[in-house]
Amino acid sequence: MMNMQKARSFVKTYLNYLVIGALLLVFALLSLTGNMSSGNLYLLEKIAIAIVLAISLSMVVGFLGELSLGHAGFMCVGAYVGGKISVLLVEALGNGILAVALSLLVGGIAAALFGVIIGLPALRLRGDYLAIVTLAFGEIVRTLVMNLPETLFGGTLGLESPRYDKKHLFIVGFVCVLLCLAVIQNLIKSKHGRAIKSIRDNEIAARTMGIDITRYKLFVFTVSSFFAGVAGVLYSYSNYRIQSANFDYNYSIEILVMVVLGGMGSINGSMVAAALITFLNVKLQTLLTGDLAVLQNLLYAAILIVIVIYKNAPGLKGFRERYNLKTLIQRLSGKKQLPEAAEESGKEDA
Amino acid sequence: MEFLTALINGLSSGGTYAIIALGYTMVYGIARMLNFAHGDIIMVGGYAMYVTLLLAGHPLIALAAAILFCTLLGVTVEKLAYKPLRGASPLAVLITAIGVSFLLQSLAQIVFGSSPKMPVKLQIPGAVSLGTFKIDYSTLITLAVTVVIMTALTLFIKYSKTGRAMVAVSEDRDAALLMGINTNAIITITFAVGSALAAVAGYLMLMKAPSLSNTLGAMPGIKAFTAAVIGGIGSIPGAMVGGILLGVVEALSFSVPALAPFTEAVEFSILIIVLLVKPSGILGKARREKV
Amino acid sequence: MKKLFAIALAVLMIAGSCMAFASCKKDGETIKIGVSGPLTGDAAVYGVAVKNAAQMAVDEINEKGGLNGIKFELIVTDDQHDANKVSTNYANMMDKGMQVSLGCVTSAPCLEFAKYSKEDNLFFLTPSASADAVPTDANAYQMCFADGNQGAVAADYVNGLGLSSIGIFYLTDDPYSKGIYDQFKANLDEGIETVEATFTKATSSDFTQQIETLKDCTFIFMPIYYTPASLFMTQAKDKIAATATYYGCDGFDGIESAEGFDINAIPQKISMLSHFNSKATEGKAKEFVDKYVAKYGKDTLNQFGAAAYDCVYALFGAMTKAIEAGKTVDANTTATEMCEILKEQFNGGYTFDGATGTGIKWKSTGFVDKTAIAYEIKPNTTPAA
Repeated sequence: MMNMQKARSFVKTYLNYLVIGALLLVFALLSLTGNMSSGNLYLLEKIAIAIVLAISLSMVVGFLGELSLGHAGFMCVGAYVGGKISVLLVEALGNGILAVALSLLVGGIAAALFGVIIGLPALRLRGDYLAIVTLAFGEIVRTLVMNLPETLFGGTLGLESPRYDKKHLFIVGFVCVLLCLAVIQNLIKSKHGRAIKSIRDNEIAARTMGIDITRYKLFVFTVSSFFAGVAGVLYSYSNYRIQSANFDYNYSIEILVMVVLGGMGSINGSMVAAALITFLNVKLQTLLTGDLAVLQNLLYAAILIVIVIYKNAPGLKGFRERYNLKTLIQRLSGKKQLPEAAEESGKEDA
Repeated sequence: MEFLTALINGLSSGGTYAIIALGYTMVYGIARMLNFAHGDIIMVGGYAMYVTLLLAGHPLIALAAAILFCTLLGVTVEKLAYKPLRGASPLAVLITAIGVSFLLQSLAQIVFGSSPKMPVKLQIPGAVSLGTFKIDYSTLITLAVTVVIMTALTLFIKYSKTGRAMVAVSEDRDAALLMGINTNAIITITFAVGSALAAVAGYLMLMKAPSLSNTLGAMPGIKAFTAAVIGGIGSIPGAMVGGILLGVVEALSFSVPALAPFTEAVEFSILIIVLLVKPSGILGKARREKV
Repeated sequence: MKKLFAIALAVLMIAGSCMAFASCKKDGETIKIGVSGPLTGDAAVYGVAVKNAAQMAVDEINEKGGLNGIKFELIVTDDQHDANKVSTNYANMMDKGMQVSLGCVTSAPCLEFAKYSKEDNLFFLTPSASADAVPTDANAYQMCFADGNQGAVAADYVNGLGLSSIGIFYLTDDPYSKGIYDQFKANLDEGIETVEATFTKATSSDFTQQIETLKDCTFIFMPIYYTPASLFMTQAKDKIAATATYYGCDGFDGIESAEGFDINAIPQKISMLSHFNSKATEGKAKEFVDKYVAKYGKDTLNQFGAAAYDCVYALFGAMTKAIEAGKTVDANTTATEMCEILKEQFNGGYTFDGATGTGIKWKSTGFVDKTAIAYEIKPNTTPAA
């Protein structure tokens, strides 16, 4: 009985790792045996990048309770620094896993440095002020990178950097997802994590309890920037060319959408939302071609609005409890009982 | 001399930013939401003017039509997309606003096509000469309109019953409700006023640069949001100050060739610098949290 | 947790079904041409022009019986002028059986496209991605002039005018504009003074300040597209001397038909160096303009479309030639086979007459070899009082 419980709690704690690991194993086998189409490999790369971005942003938005609209800016730093390093490393080491690991690390550290530089002054600001400053930071980085000498970062046409073998890149990506998950999930569950959440819930109370608020905020911001940088390096490896124009505030907002739809303060939710939104975008892009292309954004926007209202509107609480995924599955599997009190979706802490 | 010209141009484009920023700031002050779709209301107003010009012909009729249409649109969007979320997390509202922004942009492309329209009838040519110095009529009009709107809005907020109710709602929504103020109606009115201002801003923008596409409002929207924060979000004179400051910085930056490519970086740096010195913006009130 | 598992399961199911759906598509009845371009977003007007014109060419060819009875099919995907969307579009079009391509409409995505197409050895002839680096590999060809080339030719022209000072107005964050500008400056005589004003994409509507900088210039070189150019001219019409000249490159094409732009209200002279004249009164250019306007209206008429129209016909012509030479080109020809066949034609003296030039040839580097026409769109006029 004890063992049973232990096993259950083990599974419960590590279920998300297990699910990701299992999926990765299946896809890796399919890919290595040549059974994955290029389109699906690219999709998996994009999903891995989106998940790393979403988890790292959810740390700031969901757990620290600060709004950041400049995540793409940190990603941009990581992409350009990592991309530049990878150009140099390819000559020395070849386009192998060692070069990838090194540039991931360097890109992440560069972004983390920027996180500290921006975080130190910016974290004095609250709420929406911090949001606009991070947005401004992202736009500044983008403009600077574009106007630096062409020999350095490629100018308007962007920096040419090596692409990593498409059969393996998504595996690297998902390994990064697992690492990022391990770091952030353990952090959240530690005593530091509780301190961080206490800042979110009530900053004044937290300060009274002797929690060094500035230090914790800066710490979270730096870790989050590090992983944004890592995602940037992955991005540079999934393209032949990095273009600063891509890292505009719309990208930051897209990441924020993933975090919010996933449920604030839910890492698993962020991951699922990141995967689903990326999947949705890519499918809209591939299905709506030619004359139908104009419908992409329309559908995306409509889906977004409907989901947010469905999930959040106070007036729809009853409706939500009656019609959700859980009841749908129960109904499909034949168990026809109406739930007494369906739990609020996406609210549990991961 | 060049500096003076840049300054006047800056004042005028700053006036436009200020009018857009007013919409942001009022909505923020009263509904506590960042209305990311505000810039797109400008764009819709632009198309409304374009269509009216095709039908009726006179720019002022077009402006009136745009104001009417934007007001209706603002109120409708508020009712359909934001009102259901009242009481939900502010982030959910933010995301919905972004959704509305995408929706309006893609609808505009579907209806009006992808090539930019040029409603040149909105242009007002000519300039006033002061010796060698020339000021465009359009610049003067923009400045005048900005001042008039500013004054009118300040008087409205200060002396009308609705205006004071707005202040009450922005100070404390629950207390305002207890005092018998219909907060829902006040929020709706705020959206109506903000959207009407967006239409006016659209007119001023197209008067100077008659190019209309579905992304017309996106960047001015973000800049005006920046302006609103520089001035202290929630503060009406703040929006004015922030808008003008941003416009002047932009024009000055463009007049220096070496700095011109970095204009966006310069503008956003101003924001960061201002906030570092004064974390709640130039005229913003520092909020003290009560324990 | 259970819920999470259910969601993950649902994702798997959806993903699985979509993959199955994608992998069973490959019919060999038509020759498939793919192109990726901005159909939405800021640059949509260029992508839509290419989509329309290429479709028009394909429809015409099919009406006349196709390539020995085999019809053409056009696949157009949307990249929103974003290089990060290219890999997905490329894979999608390959899944649908793309055998030959028009690459991408705009430069930055096309550089990305070029790398993927190199892996599969897929032939592409881009109508409008003009960056110098686009045709680096053997499978890539351009229908438009490369930016560097245009800048150098424009500088030669300006050097010959005997001016002591000129104005330049360009877009700093755009590869097309910046690319032409760089080469123009590099080839311009040192004795010629330049007054420069720039703008960026995010501030591309109110040009009051830039006009102020350029107001004393009598000759302004503008390597930009016609939408900002027409806007600049509209705003500057009574601020810059009526005797001044605006000089542009192929980006100016379509300026006469820009909606709402009254070119006759502009007193300044407008001239350009280009490969397509949308006001042509004869030849294939006129044929194209007439047909395009009849079908899609003047709204999106520009050189992008004309070049795309030519690209389809150029590919069709080269395939016809190859068949005459005894090769097999049909719906079952693979991309690689098609590439080799077409490369042989394009490198082997194949010439083509179209809306963007006659006697068009290609260099083995992939650059186009045709004459740029310098022509006046309108002369100086006295402004109507």
